[in-house]
Amino acid sequence: MRKFVIVLKYELKEYFSNKVFIGLTIFLAALGAGILFLPRFVDMSGFTGVKIVGSQEEPGEETPEDEKQLFLYADQAGIVKEEILQQMFPDARWQKAEPDAIKTSVEAQEAEAGFVVTGKTQYQYYVFNKPMADHNNAMFEQAMKLFYRMDYCDLAGWDLDEVAAMYDVPITVEEQVLNKDSGSNYWYCYVLVIIVFMLIVYYGQMIAVSVTNEKSNRAIEVLVTSTSPNSLLFGKVVAGAIGGVFQMGVLLGAILLSYQANREQWGGMLDMFLHIPAEVIWSFAFFGLGGYLFYAFLYGAMGALVSKTEDVSKSASGLMVVVMIVYFFSLVQLTNVDGIVIKVLSFLPVSSYSTMFARIGMGTVAIWEIIVSFLILVLSIFGAGILGAKLYRMGTLRYGNPIKLGSALKDLKKSE
Amino acid sequence: MKLEVKGIHKSFGDKEVLHGVSFEVESGRALGLLGRNGAGKTTTIRILMDVFHASSGEILLDGKRFVPSRHQIGYLPEERGLYPKRTVIDQMVYLATLRGMRSKEAKESAKKWLARLEVAEYETKKLETLSKGNQQKVQLAATLVSNPEIVILDEPFSGLDPVNSQILKDVVNELIGENRLVIFSSHQMSYVEEFCDNIAIIDQGEVALAGELKDIKKEYGRNRLMLSAGNYTLEQLRGRIEREWRDIAEVSGRKKEFLILELKDGADKRRLLEQLARSDVDVERFGDYEPSLNDIFVAKVGEEE
Repeated sequence: MRKFVIVLKYELKEYFSNKVFIGLTIFLAALGAGILFLPRFVDMSGFTGVKIVGSQEEPGEETPEDEKQLFLYADQAGIVKEEILQQMFPDARWQKAEPDAIKTSVEAQEAEAGFVVTGKTQYQYYVFNKPMADHNNAMFEQAMKLFYRMDYCDLAGWDLDEVAAMYDVPITVEEQVLNKDSGSNYWYCYVLVIIVFMLIVYYGQMIAVSVTNEKSNRAIEVLVTSTSPNSLLFGKVVAGAIGGVFQMGVLLGAILLSYQANREQWGGMLDMFLHIPAEVIWSFAFFGLGGYLFYAFLYGAMGALVSKTEDVSKSASGLMVVVMIVYFFSLVQLTNVDGIVIKVLSFLPVSSYSTMFARIGMGTVAIWEIIVSFLILVLSIFGAGILGAKLYRMGTLRYGNPIKLGSALKDLKKSE
Repeated sequence: MKLEVKGIHKSFGDKEVLHGVSFEVESGRALGLLGRNGAGKTTTIRILMDVFHASSGEILLDGKRFVPSRHQIGYLPEERGLYPKRTVIDQMVYLATLRGMRSKEAKESAKKWLARLEVAEYETKKLETLSKGNQQKVQLAATLVSNPEIVILDEPFSGLDPVNSQILKDVVNELIGENRLVIFSSHQMSYVEEFCDNIAIIDQGEVALAGELKDIKKEYGRNRLMLSAGNYTLEQLRGRIEREWRDIAEVSGRKKEFLILELKDGADKRRLLEQLARSDVDVERFGDYEPSLNDIFVAKVGEEE
């Protein structure tokens, strides 16, 4: 145990004395927090729908007349009402013009846009450069529909307000979700699945490279004669886990707390990603960390099977395929969290790290299922740790060509 | 303290690489483990260090099974290896604490050995920034940092210039003087001759020759004489011996400055000396020939090629 702690401390120093690691963590956390604090200082009402207190532009303040853009229209059907256009386009100055003059003015860029209404349900639209999102045309189309309804009601002798009230009658609903709201929980589960996947791949690869480095710089020969391979591999993997949890914890913590502090300013629009219930956070922490440790031991063993760092990805490719398949199935099954596939996956140690917390977040899961799944995961972590340490012990002093996993396991069996 | 290696066999897969290696060494003495590349020296050392398990055979320390983890062992592997990107002191303290020292004690010992090997000024530098020779000295300091009772040095002189070699020689002599048990593997026979009281020559996984170096030298030098003359070249001298005194001795070898003669059965050196005195040969050098370790090694291992 003492030697495990010594290895752990030494490996941790590698992470925490690494200026790039610390700098990147702080930078990303500050960046995330900075973005989430933006609505307090910058008017993002166009995006968030919420105006900040003390904003220079007060609600209802009109654009000065000389700053309004010129819009031209011709009404050959006799249904256009300029005051309604003015209300629907508050930043525009509307002028009636002849159809030919409209085209000429738009072409000369004297007018922003032009509309020639040729019938009750027809119009021509003139614009010089059409932007990607052309709101003017969409808005004018809405105006035309309104003109049509007004004209129709006039002719039929109906009251437009009465018809509109009947047509758009508001319905009051009192929703009571008795278990999980999959719709609102989907996105943060989606994000958390991606995060844990990235953690496993990124830090797993780092651990494998670190083991291979010790092998390629021959430090391993001195190390294995100074302590047990179990202490070496467990120390290395747990240090990687602490490094990963620290980095991800600081990053996620900064983002979640910053959002919590600015949720009102954001109008709750990021709730689907960042307003995560505590039980999901906890299950993510336990299952995510467990899954990470499970794979980290195996990545460490894969690192021991090669002698050069450039061979690490080749050695770990089988493991990567498993991680990718689990990732793919986890994301696909998020839309069917009570299905049999995700239920089975949530008990397998290779996949429970992402599927169980998705079930906890979005589906129906009994407490015994969580406990059994977690116990299986914990036992599998120790199994992976012991197997990883044996492969590590066997692989570390075999230099030369990469050792295939199959032959490594065979040799292991033979040596026992 | 007496370490005995008894009949060690080791196989990798179906191939047996050690076929019953045996030797012994005591505290205050050094054993030279010799052999050509691939002879099985490093495998033997790795079995000693419990990196590999022997297929059969045993290793005893003072008559009891030797368990490396229960003893302080300093091991300098042939393939040097430390962390290039970590500071010298960091990794020395790390290795010392892994071998059971307390952190403070480890730091003091690390500083002591760095100073002893004249690399103290690099203590806070990253290993990769040091010259190859200084890295080698740091590696040796890391081997000795835990004050081991058993020291195993695999090719310790490779990569060292003459000045650094002298420092290392002094350190090895100190270790032997401090009653440590030293196992010394090298291709450089002069160093082995200088330090080792015992040798074990391993050839193709077997001990080809083992024992006290002075006895081995005596055995190999028995009935061998050296001869040179002021008025004859070595070739002329060889001709005269082969013509006139072939019933007494034959030429078995030639060094730069003398011939090596082997006495025939029943002949003795006094008779040869008498014959030489009666002749016109102006004897310049005459006496018992003591073979060098290199001669013994080449004779023992070379002939089996």
